Amino acid sequence: MPTKNTYISVVGALPISFDLHESMNIGPVVASSNSNKSLSFPYATVNSEQNLQDMLNSSNFKHTKLLCPEELFKKYLFFDGVTCLPDFPGLKTLELDANRCSPQILSLLLSVYFNPKIIFLLGYDISNPEELSRTKRIAISHPHIKFMYICNPPRTYQLDDLENGFCDSYIKYQEFIDGKK
Amino acid sequence: MEKSNFYKFSVKLRWPAVCRNRSVEILKERPDIVEQMNYFREKIANILKIICRKPHQIDPSHAMSGVRLWFSSGQDVYDFIIRQPEFDWEIVPEISVINEITGEMQNYDVVYTPSGITID
Repeated sequence: MPTKNTYISVVGALPISFDLHESMNIGPVVASSNSNKSLSFPYATVNSEQNLQDMLNSSNFKHTKLLCPEELFKKYLFFDGVTCLPDFPGLKTLELDANRCSPQILSLLLSVYFNPKIIFLLGYDISNPEELSRTKRIAISHPHIKFMYICNPPRTYQLDDLENGFCDSYIKYQEFIDGKK
Repeated sequence: MEKSNFYKFSVKLRWPAVCRNRSVEILKERPDIVEQMNYFREKIANILKIICRKPHQIDPSHAMSGVRLWFSSGQDVYDFIIRQPEFDWEIVPEISVINEITGEMQNYDVVYTPSGITID
């Protein structure tokens, strides 16, 4: 069982030009499916069989815990790296389906399950209004967790209506990591 | 320092028919059955050494229906299940998996199909 972590970084589906090894200095990094293969992540979420097969065959994910919904887990139960995602409380209330939502939403759900103090969202795609709405719903239902959206300037104002949603640059994120080292 | 093993998978192997559902009182009166049970455990240990590539363990606690086996590798437990007919064994068609995130034990039914096994 993972120990309590104060900071978790979620890597979304967008390409990132940031050394994710740095993120590992402050806490675990959760990858979203196979969209980013730059690092051997501690955790990666996946809900598509095709992507899971690709990840199982990729050396980058050899030491990664691949977390998938129960439906998919049952088919890959005998693969050592595959683990079943926990039952996320309030999934129906959030109008989310773990089998059909995007991998970055799954990563976010997993991160809130760990109950950290701050979740950093890197390369996280909120350009889709539905995806933004889902992200906001998760943030609203976890008011005690800060959601820090990291992006290159100009900053986005899309999360400003959230009390626990913030936006900052990669430079500030690096400074934060340096301060915690 | 010795690295501790995490036994993620567990299956129960049924005792030979004559040893099943025997109470402790009966076992005290029937040393021949106890001997058979001990021999069966030894046989399991030897077979596990042949099949498994990763650490495994035979649960030392006694259960009336069978012997609980613990595996650290999914590939090993799969091999063990599909090779039952070779050793004329019978496994309780259920697999327990410890979830590394929640620490909970999840149980699934093992369904035998003509092409292998599936999990339900």
